[in-house]
Amino acid sequence: MSGGPAVRISIESSCEKQVQEVGLDGLETYVPPLSMSQNLAKLAQRIDFSQGSDSEENGVDSEPRDGEWGKQEPEEEEVKFQPSLWPWDSVRNNLRSSLTEMCVLYDVLSVVKEKKYMALDPVSQDPTAGKTPQVFQLMSKKKSLATAAQLLLKGAEKLSKSVAENQENRRQRDFNTELLRLRSQWKLRKVGDKILGDLSYRSAGSLFPHHGTFEVIKNTDIDLDKKIPEDYCPLDVQIPSDLEGSAYIKVSIQKQSPDIGDLGTVNLFRRPQKNKPGTPWHIKLEAAQNVLLCKEIFAQLSREAVQIKSQIPHIVVKNQIISQPFPGLQLSISLCHCTGDKKINRSSPEKPKPDDHLYVLEHNLHQMIREFHKQQLSSVVMPHPASAPFGHKRLRLAGPMAYDKAEISSLQQSEGLLEKIIKQAKHIFLRSRTARTIDCLASRIEDPQIQAHWSNINDVYESSVKVLITSHGYEQICKSIQLQLNIGVEQIRVVHRDGRAITLSHQEQELQDFLLSQVPRLRL
Amino acid sequence: MGVTCVCQVPVAEGKSVQQTVDILHKKLEQLGAVKQGNFCVDCETYQSTVNAGGQPSKLLYVMHNSEFPLSCLALFEGGPCLVADTNFDVLMVKLKTHFQNAKGHKVECRGSRYRYCDFLIKVGTVTMSSSVRGISVEVEYCPCVVPGDCWNLMKEFMLSFLGNNVPELPTVFAAKPEGLFAPADSVDTMTQYLELFNKLRKLQITGSNVH
Repeated sequence: MSGGPAVRISIESSCEKQVQEVGLDGLETYVPPLSMSQNLAKLAQRIDFSQGSDSEENGVDSEPRDGEWGKQEPEEEEVKFQPSLWPWDSVRNNLRSSLTEMCVLYDVLSVVKEKKYMALDPVSQDPTAGKTPQVFQLMSKKKSLATAAQLLLKGAEKLSKSVAENQENRRQRDFNTELLRLRSQWKLRKVGDKILGDLSYRSAGSLFPHHGTFEVIKNTDIDLDKKIPEDYCPLDVQIPSDLEGSAYIKVSIQKQSPDIGDLGTVNLFRRPQKNKPGTPWHIKLEAAQNVLLCKEIFAQLSREAVQIKSQIPHIVVKNQIISQPFPGLQLSISLCHCTGDKKINRSSPEKPKPDDHLYVLEHNLHQMIREFHKQQLSSVVMPHPASAPFGHKRLRLAGPMAYDKAEISSLQQSEGLLEKIIKQAKHIFLRSRTARTIDCLASRIEDPQIQAHWSNINDVYESSVKVLITSHGYEQICKSIQLQLNIGVEQIRVVHRDGRAITLSHQEQELQDFLLSQVPRLRL
Repeated sequence: MGVTCVCQVPVAEGKSVQQTVDILHKKLEQLGAVKQGNFCVDCETYQSTVNAGGQPSKLLYVMHNSEFPLSCLALFEGGPCLVADTNFDVLMVKLKTHFQNAKGHKVECRGSRYRYCDFLIKVGTVTMSSSVRGISVEVEYCPCVVPGDCWNLMKEFMLSFLGNNVPELPTVFAAKPEGLFAPADSVDTMTQYLELFNKLRKLQITGSNVH
């Protein structure tokens, strides 16, 4: 049926004749075949004409065929004369169709018998009731919805229970949740059965050799019978003993102390810290990190103070570095570390000293050390790619261009933290003294008015002020005296309106004399 | 960078190498020069293993100079020269199948470095496998890079402390296509050192008298 080319089957009647006798010489004598009419007769006798359906078309009634043979002949002849119809055509068709049907049935049965490709299934019975009643439908829908709703409710109940539990846990501050919070802010690692953390700036680029390791411990000293205090925390940290308490760097400019023996440990502490044992861990860790940073700043400054050769050497005494930015002036940078011990506080008398701590410089020190850290990690210093040599990008040319030592040192950084902070201190001092001088003069001299307009935008090493000397009532006419003062690190540069520039030194008197000399010019 | 002249100072009669060096130091200090540390120039020899056409294989000299601390020079005698980073030494190790290090041929020159205003004077002893071969003196005039302009000044300066041992104009300057007015650089300095080392090396081989 399907697949494969159609096969031609040729059917031919066997023309085998029956052998009547075989002669002695091998010659076979056949039975003479039936003639046409004899054959016809033989076949006709087999037909049951009572069943013929095609004979109706011919309009031949189905009479009982008991009749003569001759009567049939003319009918058949009529049938014969119809073109393309030979007498047994209808018979043949019927037979063929019945054969086909039988074959199909046989195939189907044989396939079904194997039960591999076809199976017999009873046809589902249609409900005898023609249409289901609507009430029944409604009931069934309601039931199924109720089942679904119940499932959902069960799930919702479970969720709400777990959320409530979470809230409860959070309120109670479980150790693990606290640990999770700690881990989200600080670096932790597990060593054996201890949990250690790192509060140093090493991952941010610091080179300070302090380890900065703190330990996380479980706070188990609570009495379950008593009520749990409000600030109870199941997690506690143990910081290294040298980082306890709090510290800050005090930078101040004073008049030079006459005797070097006067230098002692600067103990003045303006910000006492209450370090009771119940302090939450984040406060403790932040304070300890600040102490570490201050120690690093001070270590860097003292190292530079010792190593760098300057004209007036810096003095490092205990926790203080003293240097002289200007003659008669003393800049002292000290590390004030209060460990919170009550004993030390009581021993030093707390005299109210004028607060000459320069916050700006302390802030700048912190900023500079952080910048130094960042530089350690920047791509300028860290090699890109990883196999490249360390150092400034220009330094890579030093090899192939055969740079000598002078050229190499000019490429590398020259200024250290101490030099920078001293320059900044000098500038701050010079600026405040200039302001004082100008204000002093302005209040002293009434006739021509001296006005000073300070610029808002300054640099750490440079500021500028515009000084106007005018006469009352004649401001619009006499505009000639306008001086721009650029205050640098050690000098003041004065630029007149007509462009003349004069450089003054840091001496206070010089500036005063110069301004006084400008006053009579107005009168002229 | 300036114009450099490297020359050899023969050992004084009846004195050892160290004594001659001390005499030179004293003369320089009398002149007013200030000692500014030490210097070291060394040279390693590499022999090419690939021998094409039966010619004697070329020798590659790799030199270092403490004056150029981050550089390394590689040169063939009379041939091309390369100025490179110090990683070049590591590269030579990797190329050891092609270039073999002749370890016994390493020459070093160490000594003190003096500064006299614009002049840099380096007095050193040349040693090869811990036997002293001679004394070298390098004079550098820093402000100028053109040999033709400052050779006379340098000669006069060298006369003041070297006496009769003043050398002639180094051949590296004269051999350049532009002659004396081409700017001098580190390659010229190291070429002069190489010539000096080779000269001192050859002297020992012929059994001549050099301590």
